[in-house]
Amino acid sequence: MKSKLVFALSAASVLFAAAVVANPARDAIVAGFAAEAGVSTFSADAGRTMFLGQFTGGKEATPSCTTCHTNNPTAAGRTRVGKPILPMAVSANPERFTDPEKVAKWFRRNCTSVLGRECTAEEKGNFLAFMISQ
Amino acid sequence: MRIFHWTLVLLISIAAISGFLLRPTWINLHVLAGSLVALLLIARIVWGVLGSENARFTSFVKGPTEVFKHIREIRSKTAARHLGHNPLGALMIIALLGTIFWLTLTGVSTLGGIFKTGPFGFATSFQFGSLSFSIHSVLAYFLLFLIVMHLAGAAYESWRTRENLVKSIINGKKESREGDHHATERRPRPILSSFLIAGLVGALIWAAIWLTAKPPFGVPVATPNPVYQEECSACHIAYPPSLLPAHNWGNLMAGLSDHFGEDASLSQATVDEITTWLFQNASDSVDTKPAHVFSRVNPESPFAITQTPFWKNTHRAIPDAVFTRPPIYDNGNCVACHSDAESGAFYPANISIPKETTQ
Repeated sequence: MKSKLVFALSAASVLFAAAVVANPARDAIVAGFAAEAGVSTFSADAGRTMFLGQFTGGKEATPSCTTCHTNNPTAAGRTRVGKPILPMAVSANPERFTDPEKVAKWFRRNCTSVLGRECTAEEKGNFLAFMISQ
Repeated sequence: MRIFHWTLVLLISIAAISGFLLRPTWINLHVLAGSLVALLLIARIVWGVLGSENARFTSFVKGPTEVFKHIREIRSKTAARHLGHNPLGALMIIALLGTIFWLTLTGVSTLGGIFKTGPFGFATSFQFGSLSFSIHSVLAYFLLFLIVMHLAGAAYESWRTRENLVKSIINGKKESREGDHHATERRPRPILSSFLIAGLVGALIWAAIWLTAKPPFGVPVATPNPVYQEECSACHIAYPPSLLPAHNWGNLMAGLSDHFGEDASLSQATVDEITTWLFQNASDSVDTKPAHVFSRVNPESPFAITQTPFWKNTHRAIPDAVFTRPPIYDNGNCVACHSDAESGAFYPANISIPKETTQ
């Protein structure tokens, strides 16, 4: 009886989380990256590695994503001039990654700032997979 | 008369302390004290025409002949006592009242020209405001000098006539002595004076309020641009376009791919739209103090407000650590301390450095 209740609760919470996370616009963005990269799934772990990684190819002031977004994707970040940045994790900010133009703009800017180059479609997909899993 | 004297002493002290010693954030107190001084001046002038004998200008203000005669008499120790001001004292009263009058006038045109507020804000240029401020400053020091001379004169006259004049300006009494210089007493007109003072004060306040409400000179109202708001205030405050000349805005917008150490590139269409709006509202066509002082940029960093000589000079007393602590984080975050930064006004009374907060 007890185990059934635990199962039901966990099933419900999984469904609830999925309901919060699922968004057709975001799914379309992820699917676009998948098509471009020629892969079927993305690795949230690879996304985490990139998010937490330190780089030297980009601009001096921004050696990592975490410079502004902090180590915790569910927490608010802060720009170099003090303006708050809404959390990156979809669970903390359901609006994230639902506007393709914004996603394109910020990947373009921030990849060149941090990595010194544009990100590949696979890197972008992995990054989104990590943020969706958080 | 005594109430006038001591109220003036109080107000001039407040104005002097807030003007000379306190930070510019006290400007409202300074302006309030100065405004009350102006009203007090009206009362004194009316009373100087219609008041009691010793208060009337025509009773104590004498021509040069009388003044020199009085000086000769002081030297020969034959000068008479005066129940009002003596001819030399009268000169001092005129100098004090005149200086205070010009102080209030130059104060109002400083407020109007530099800060684009107050009764003259609608018609005074920054250049005229700056000139007014120079005169205002010189007059302020001159008034300090006059006050010292006034005190010295009162002390000397007290010693010369063996009478405590400070006591007289407190209790309003002077001893009656033989050989006093008596003027023919004219009847004071307190009721007429009160009405006249009330009328003039009321008219002045009404005119000041009416004029203050007019749109300020050289401060065009920029129509906010939603694209600028959206794109340019994503990372930092929406810096008012009136802070930089069009030329500098143009170069800044052309170099967004390396914008203060970050890639802030935008599509060409967006760049064009924002640039057009910045050009329309750039400092070239704005007459505010920030527009003037920040247009003198640092050639080595022609877009950074915080690298301008004016910025560095006015913020030099604030330790670097204050700028990096929360909730300020960076010296480019003007609005953290200047609540009116995004309007471009930067009025001194609107400065408040926030206490450190936890992240």
